[in-house]
Amino acid sequence: MSEPALHPEQLPPSNEPLRVAVRRLRWFKQAFLRHTEAQGRDLGCVFEVDEARLAAIFVRWLDAIELQKPSDKGQRRAFFEFAAALMLRELVANMPIRAFTPVTLSRSDSPATIWPEGYCCTMFCLSVHSAAMAQEFHTATDFDPALDELRHWWSFRENAREDAGFSAGFLQMILGNQPNWMFPDVFRERLTALIK
Amino acid sequence: MSRHAPIRPDPMPLREALRGLRFFLRRGAETLADTITIEQMPKPASDLAAMMLREIDDLASNVNDIASGIAKTMLGAEDQPSVTLKHLANGDAAAVHFGAAVYVALRSVLRRLGAPGVFVSEAAARRAWGQGQGNDAATLTIGLLNERVVRGTTAQEAAQVPGSALEPVALVAVMLWLQSTRSEDENEVALDAATDLAVALAAEVADACIARDASRITAIYTRYAAHV
Repeated sequence: MSEPALHPEQLPPSNEPLRVAVRRLRWFKQAFLRHTEAQGRDLGCVFEVDEARLAAIFVRWLDAIELQKPSDKGQRRAFFEFAAALMLRELVANMPIRAFTPVTLSRSDSPATIWPEGYCCTMFCLSVHSAAMAQEFHTATDFDPALDELRHWWSFRENAREDAGFSAGFLQMILGNQPNWMFPDVFRERLTALIK
Repeated sequence: MSRHAPIRPDPMPLREALRGLRFFLRRGAETLADTITIEQMPKPASDLAAMMLREIDDLASNVNDIASGIAKTMLGAEDQPSVTLKHLANGDAAAVHFGAAVYVALRSVLRRLGAPGVFVSEAAARRAWGQGQGNDAATLTIGLLNERVVRGTTAQEAAQVPGSALEPVALVAVMLWLQSTRSEDENEVALDAATDLAVALAAEVADACIARDASRITAIYTRYAAHV
């Protein structure tokens, strides 16, 4: 499997833990802008970012986290992964970037070629998630081989158009988890409580 | 015998008057130019009107330069203060510092919102502090609205938020910023982020502010002030 194009070096420095910094709009926005620029350089294309839309996405993400935050501290690690999935859901549903030019520096069979915007947003969520996991739990993040497979990206792109929650399931799958495809954007503890 | 420092007069009323004059001339010249359609006038009235507009424009520009110069160099700099609401409440002359902070921050927010020509009253911001119960952010926000710290929004066309939401969004942005934890280096980016947050919440912010609903305004601050 090829190495995913994460850009941890583009995450802005902070005196606070990443889990706190990422929930501040000033950090989130700077991180996203820097990541998008680096991705653009990697892929040989230019992305335009709608900053007002990005702020609205951030607010929706905060609200979604607050709504699903588990009361059980033992679920903290699992919710870390889920928070990244919710971030991707909001980004894809309200796509804040647009590729001005086609991708020129990527292999023709790269997912970035078929959907540069979706690829860039996914890599952003994976970058932030990996860095936060390393800081909080001292663990490296492993990625599922599906990350390289075009059929999964086609499916991601098509399904996310119809159901925004699909993006959350895709990210959980990339992180090696088995999402509940019926309710991919509902945290399992909450889902269990709803079913009971 | 101890020597007392001479009592200095408060420069704020003069500063406010100069800012008012600057606003009046800027807005007046703009309004006149919008109102008079020289192209439709017969000669020689059109030549006369064009000359008059040029004269007024020159006058406005000269007074603006003088007023801006005095306000900036003689009556206090307009640097962005790094105060927080919590610190203000514990300090001396809180109303003075609050007024100055709100003025500078609001001007910056309004520029970012595409409404640089709106008048901001530092004197009204000071009065709003006097109405507040301590440093309660929602009460202060309602005080700022009631005192009409932001004036002249009706003629504003370039705003990034609907006209009726411009004043609430700008005020809530400043109050979010005043409550945010930040270093001095982060002042500017934090104010930009507070503005973006307030814009993202524009509908909710406008509803709560127009209704002067302190509990809904408090709920907004409780949810988002830590995320600027």
